[in-house]
Amino acid sequence: MGAELLIPNRSQADDSRRLTGTLAASRAAEKTPAGSWAAETRRYLRVFLTFARNSLIRDMTFRADFLFHCISSVAWTLMNVGFYLLVFRFTMMIGPDTGWGRDEFFLFLATVWFINSLVQAFFIPNANEFSELIRTGGLDFALLKPIDTQFLISFRRVEWSSLSNFAVGLLIAGISLHGLATRAESPVYLTPLTLSLYLFFVGCGVAIMYSLMISLAATSVWLGRNQSLYDFWFYITNFSRYPMEIYNTPWGRPLLGLFTFVIPVLVVVNVPARILARPLNPRADWEWQLAVWAVIATGLCLIASRWVFRQSLKSYRSASS
Amino acid sequence: MGDPHSATFASEPLPPVGIGDRVRTWWVIIRTALAERMAYRGDFALGTLMRFLPIITQIFLWGAIFDAVQTADQGGADSSLRIGGYNFPEMVAYFLLTMVARAFSSMPGLATGIANQVRQGEIKKYLIQPIDLVGFLLLTRIAHKLAYYTVAIGPFALVFFLCRGYFTDGLPPAHVLIAFVGSLVMGFLIGFFLEAAIGMISFWTLEINSLLLIFMLFSFFLSGHMFPLTLLPDSIGWLVNLLPLKYLAFFPAAIFLRKIPDEELAGELILEAAWLAFFIIACRWMYARGVRRYSGYGG
Amino acid sequence: MPIIEVRELTKSYRVYRKREGLRASMRGLFRREYTEVEAVRGINLRVEAGEFVAFLGPNGAGKTTTLKLLSGVINPSGGTATVMGFVPWERRNEYRRRFALVMGQKNQLWWDLPAQESYRLHQQIYGIPEDHFRRTLDELTDLLEVTPLLGQPVRELSLGERMKMELIAALLHSPEVLFLDEPTIGLDVIAQHTIQRFLRQYQERRQTTILLTSHYMKDVAALCQRVVIVAGGLVQYDGSLAGIVDQFSGKKIVTLQFAAGNRPEDLARLGTILETQWPRVKIGIARAEVPRVLATTLRDYAIEDVSVEDPPLEDVIADLFHQVS
Repeated sequence: MGAELLIPNRSQADDSRRLTGTLAASRAAEKTPAGSWAAETRRYLRVFLTFARNSLIRDMTFRADFLFHCISSVAWTLMNVGFYLLVFRFTMMIGPDTGWGRDEFFLFLATVWFINSLVQAFFIPNANEFSELIRTGGLDFALLKPIDTQFLISFRRVEWSSLSNFAVGLLIAGISLHGLATRAESPVYLTPLTLSLYLFFVGCGVAIMYSLMISLAATSVWLGRNQSLYDFWFYITNFSRYPMEIYNTPWGRPLLGLFTFVIPVLVVVNVPARILARPLNPRADWEWQLAVWAVIATGLCLIASRWVFRQSLKSYRSASS
Repeated sequence: MGDPHSATFASEPLPPVGIGDRVRTWWVIIRTALAERMAYRGDFALGTLMRFLPIITQIFLWGAIFDAVQTADQGGADSSLRIGGYNFPEMVAYFLLTMVARAFSSMPGLATGIANQVRQGEIKKYLIQPIDLVGFLLLTRIAHKLAYYTVAIGPFALVFFLCRGYFTDGLPPAHVLIAFVGSLVMGFLIGFFLEAAIGMISFWTLEINSLLLIFMLFSFFLSGHMFPLTLLPDSIGWLVNLLPLKYLAFFPAAIFLRKIPDEELAGELILEAAWLAFFIIACRWMYARGVRRYSGYGG
Repeated sequence: MPIIEVRELTKSYRVYRKREGLRASMRGLFRREYTEVEAVRGINLRVEAGEFVAFLGPNGAGKTTTLKLLSGVINPSGGTATVMGFVPWERRNEYRRRFALVMGQKNQLWWDLPAQESYRLHQQIYGIPEDHFRRTLDELTDLLEVTPLLGQPVRELSLGERMKMELIAALLHSPEVLFLDEPTIGLDVIAQHTIQRFLRQYQERRQTTILLTSHYMKDVAALCQRVVIVAGGLVQYDGSLAGIVDQFSGKKIVTLQFAAGNRPEDLARLGTILETQWPRVKIGIARAEVPRVLATTLRDYAIEDVSVEDPPLEDVIADLFHQVS
């Protein structure tokens, strides 16, 4: 440290030359247009990749934690598999005449795990951190950056270990698809069309879950950090984990309506899973209507979450230290 | 806590702490815990109510399963269908009762709390002062539970009132009720000493979080919280039935729903008491060994 | 045309009073009680390009709030401001590319990662071309002497090293306007000195416009030609550092050294006695009175030495803060 005091004696001309060089370069840099749409997309993509890379570097410095998190989340999933295998010892189907037999239902579960692992890997850590940033005033830095704030906040962290459940989902989906395609009675095959529709609607599902979560996280601007809100999210999304037919009872219909049209968590898994598993053969008209609604609901949710996010930024007070 | 002079006059033997002093100490602990809970009772009551939400999906799921089986069987009469020995109303009642059992037996933060105290050296306090760690933790836990019940009784009563239709047999006879209450209290104690024993492992290894997660995983599925244990195929069922985890959720609910024949009831309760004794001794023994090891370090 | 122009800028917060208990919080959902806190009550300011301006003021005076308003982090309650022709709180990307904010009390670098990874991220976010990025980074790390630390996780760095890394992060995109909020807070003297020297050199060469808030008078004296004193949410003074004493202190401090054995008792008639350490006495005297008092003193007593000084800047400013608040 002592050496630092001596530095002012160093050739100032040297410093000066180097800094002027930088100045010229920075002016030149400003001339390059960042405006074109393709260039902007590339910039956003590169930022996202850097986030993903940095998160991975971070995870690798705490390797034991990483590994343990992978193992324990896979263990939870396998326990769930065990539970549903147990259930199918007693019944052929979930709900009478719904078509959710064992293979169909496990394809449904695989979809649950796909969507959940994506949400957990990409969004839950960020939503948590968002509330924390609001509380501590750390959001300041995000607001300073010349990039969309919601983008910056939503993709900062990737929790790679949560994707281990994605792998389990793939395995189970593979087994179920094989079972569906090889059964004697009306086999269901995977086609390029159903697969691409499936991927599209899984994307919609993730978007709906994301919108819900970021909106809830944004409310911490007004409510402060509120643990019950997160519990609320968990309990609400819990409704999306089963085929929607199970709510089709006199008691359940209000819930069915609420979670399809007001907080559309029921379309998240149901729509893509139905496309791939084809529980009803031939497909019913309402299934197509539901798919169209899922697209509309995705759009509405994204718009609503964007609106809530913007409102929350307006009320942000930037706690100092 | 204890006598303030004890540290100064440690060389002279003090008179033993009277029962009156002890009761006063307990009362202070209980009052503090109550006050703490009451400050946030609004949030807290709401949180308790929300905890019933996952049960709703469970009920719908089982409703769909019972429906499907009945439709497939054609011949089966309405409520005679049993899965794992439970008909549909009993299944719903079972899930509600396991909520009660878990309210007694779950010990959030107990093991991690002990681990943190060992890690940060706070455990020394208990070696110097005339308080016993396990006793102190048990008292605070009782206090917290009491405070919890005074607030949670509202939401619980509401849910049970709304669902009274599922309790088709009404209240069980007195001796079953007594057994039920006994199993709840013992469930609380087993939960406490079991998790405290896990916490004691931190005397030997500091990283008990992974261990705890695995314990929670097994306790979630094998305590009967997720489904009645009688659903398990015999090949696994006998083993799970030997484990003490069932006392945390399954056992009290099964007693209430009269799934345990009267003639076996006393024997089962004695077995549970034996498990309880085992965990008390295990916990004590581990604490004693742990403390000896800890002081051996000069920690 | 000034690079920063601020007119009648105000910011007030509503602070909700949260009540405990279910009934109270239910009621609170519909009708909230709040108190209004005015952090900034009408700031006017013009800064020309290339100026280095210090913001001084007691805690809670509104300095940091003003910087946050100018960075667009929070929205104002009233008034206008433009920086480089932009309205900050519109948060246009064109604006955000051209300035930077450094806060001594908050850090933006990833805690568990080496600083260079955070710099990479900045490069992507600001779209800095690779050659420019490399050159700027090399120069900045060289000047601040942190090149060997680039690969160490930020959490392992000392406070001073971390602050240097934060500064580099803020300067990578060569901002034209730089806001510094307490950049040397909590640092030891050596680290403070390094950062001061760096800022001075950087500003001299690049003519960056800098607004700085600091508690350390040393920072201000070393760096800024112009000082703006903010207190109670208003600008109380705007001018040179030396001008503060002229404007706010009517006193001079006269130190008299008496000849040996001389201990007059009636010194109180000259002014306020500040310090007595025989044979030396310090007396505070109104500025206009100084010539007359000095003449009397030299006539009446046996004096070996006399000095007349301005009161220390810190004292004047402390007095000023005290008066305003």
